[in-house]
Amino acid sequence: MANFLIEDVTKSFTSGEVEEQILKGVNLSLKEGEITALVGPSGSGKSTILTIAAGLQRASDGKILFETKDMTKMSQEEIRQVRAKEFGFVFQSSHLVPFLTVEEQLLVMLDVSKTKLGKQEQVKEVEKILKLVEMNHRKDAYPASLSGGERQRVAIARAIIHQPKILFADEPTASLDTKRSKDVMELLRELTKTLNLTTLMVTHDEEMLPYADRIITMRDGYIVE
Amino acid sequence: MKIAWKEMKKNKAKFLILGSIIFLVSFLTFIISGLANGLSQDNAALIKDMPTGQFYLNEDAKQTYNLSKIDIDLQEQIMEENPGAAAFSVQMGFVNDADDKQHSVAFVTSTESDVFETVQEGEIILDSSLKDEGIAVGDVLSNNQFSGEFIVKGFVDKKKYSHAPVAYINMTNYQEMYRVMEMQTIFIPAKDAPMFIGLESFSNKSFLNAIPSYSAEQMSLNMIIWFLVVISGMLFAIFFYMMNVQKIGLYGILKAIGMKTIALFRMIWVQMMVITIVALALSVGLSQLFNVLAPAGMPFHLTLDTVMMLSAVFLIVGFIGATISGFQIKKIEPLQAIQQGEM
Ligand SMILES: Nc1ncnc2c1ncn2[C@@H]1O[C@H](COP(=O)(O)OP(=O)(O)OP(=O)(O)O)[C@@H](O)[C@H]1O
Ligand SMILES: [Mg+2]
Repeated sequence: MANFLIEDVTKSFTSGEVEEQILKGVNLSLKEGEITALVGPSGSGKSTILTIAAGLQRASDGKILFETKDMTKMSQEEIRQVRAKEFGFVFQSSHLVPFLTVEEQLLVMLDVSKTKLGKQEQVKEVEKILKLVEMNHRKDAYPASLSGGERQRVAIARAIIHQPKILFADEPTASLDTKRSKDVMELLRELTKTLNLTTLMVTHDEEMLPYADRIITMRDGYIVE
Repeated sequence: MKIAWKEMKKNKAKFLILGSIIFLVSFLTFIISGLANGLSQDNAALIKDMPTGQFYLNEDAKQTYNLSKIDIDLQEQIMEENPGAAAFSVQMGFVNDADDKQHSVAFVTSTESDVFETVQEGEIILDSSLKDEGIAVGDVLSNNQFSGEFIVKGFVDKKKYSHAPVAYINMTNYQEMYRVMEMQTIFIPAKDAPMFIGLESFSNKSFLNAIPSYSAEQMSLNMIIWFLVVISGMLFAIFFYMMNVQKIGLYGILKAIGMKTIALFRMIWVQMMVITIVALALSVGLSQLFNVLAPAGMPFHLTLDTVMMLSAVFLIVGFIGATISGFQIKKIEPLQAIQQGEM
């Protein structure tokens, strides 16, 4: 079932006098329990469509329907709430909070998303998710003492701890070597299936494509399938 | 909030540095304000400790008390109409003790009044600070403008004028020494006293400022105090600004995952509060200790009221400083922050 629809989305940037259209009408539907991979040459607009879908920037035109609600019509505060409660994010670098332990990173996310769990349950939930990404043994470690792959696993844990519906990942494996990349993709695939997530991922790496359920190719602001 | 506290715990050195600067600045402020207050006591306790009322000087005196001469008839009329009123004069001078040693004093004389000491001719009552200079009750003092001698009748506490101890003498003796019949000033101990033709009236506060050097001294000290307060506010603004600049990426991510901007502001406020309260607690304690331990000759007087008032000002100024630095957080776009992090 498609619960996330991108309809005729365009995006233009004006730099100085010239207006440049980066997205020229993108249509895309994402399905629950599936990883949709966006591929294509550099500069084709992959990150742009992902961040628009994720509510991190506005589309110039078009609709973004999340469970029948049109996000392009929402206020900034409504979009923030959707991001906090329904979306999870993984980026190329892990972007963890340097002064929080692994466990605290996840507790902060639970705090932000206003889950109704008590303190005890929150700690239990964190433990459960950390076990899922096999990081529970490092729950008291600070990001600086983790390896790149470990950090990315914590970032993924943070992205799913509040049980979001949609997971956005922009080149989540770009900073990792092949072995670790495959581990992370394995994890993303497993989580997408077990938690029934709707996952949109941008990647450059051909080797990661077997983990995706669907592959969408972009070129010059269009989807070419 | 937890996250604010966690950051302070992880980056102790950074926050400790800011805390100790705030401690030093606030401590310095308290000490200077104790000094300002002490000096003002030393300069004008005689006037400061008088009850609320109105002071009158001759209009021609141009607000300078020792140029003022009040017409004797007018004085008598005012004294009759206003019970409790007193006419008084102050002149700087000195007395010589039995060993011919000079002690500078401020001679004060007045008509009979509750506000001033009553002294008989040939007698003198001194501020107790002169005890330390070896003068005792019963000593005989002289003055080169006075034909007779003064016998020390007693001492009073904390009566200073223009940094000199006060010496109360009888009006007749005063008139002989300074060759004037008129008094300089009339004081009426009432809140809204009447106006008199030819006299200019002053409140307690404005009369204090008519004392030479008083306002200059207080103004420069107060200026230092407010400069220090402003500096501490700027320290907060600059410190948090620099920390925020380092954390733009982090704030962007926290915003991206859905944290409210106000939560980020709260984080700065909590940190600012913790630092300021700890620093202030330390400097309040230390300055009160200094108040007790300050050497006797040092004009230092710091009340808890003053300290609390200044502390409140520090908190407010710190809050403003931290908030100003927070405005850049408001402007951070989560997307930019994410992309900057990846460059
Ligand atoms: N804020 C912006 N202002 C102006 N131009 C922008 C902005 N953001 C993106 N662009 C332009 O839009 C185009 C698409 O950028 P985008 O980041 O979506 O590409 P991409 O497909 O993700 O590329 P890559 O694979 O290199 O990450 C680029 O030419 C870029 O310069
Ligand atoms: Mg990109």
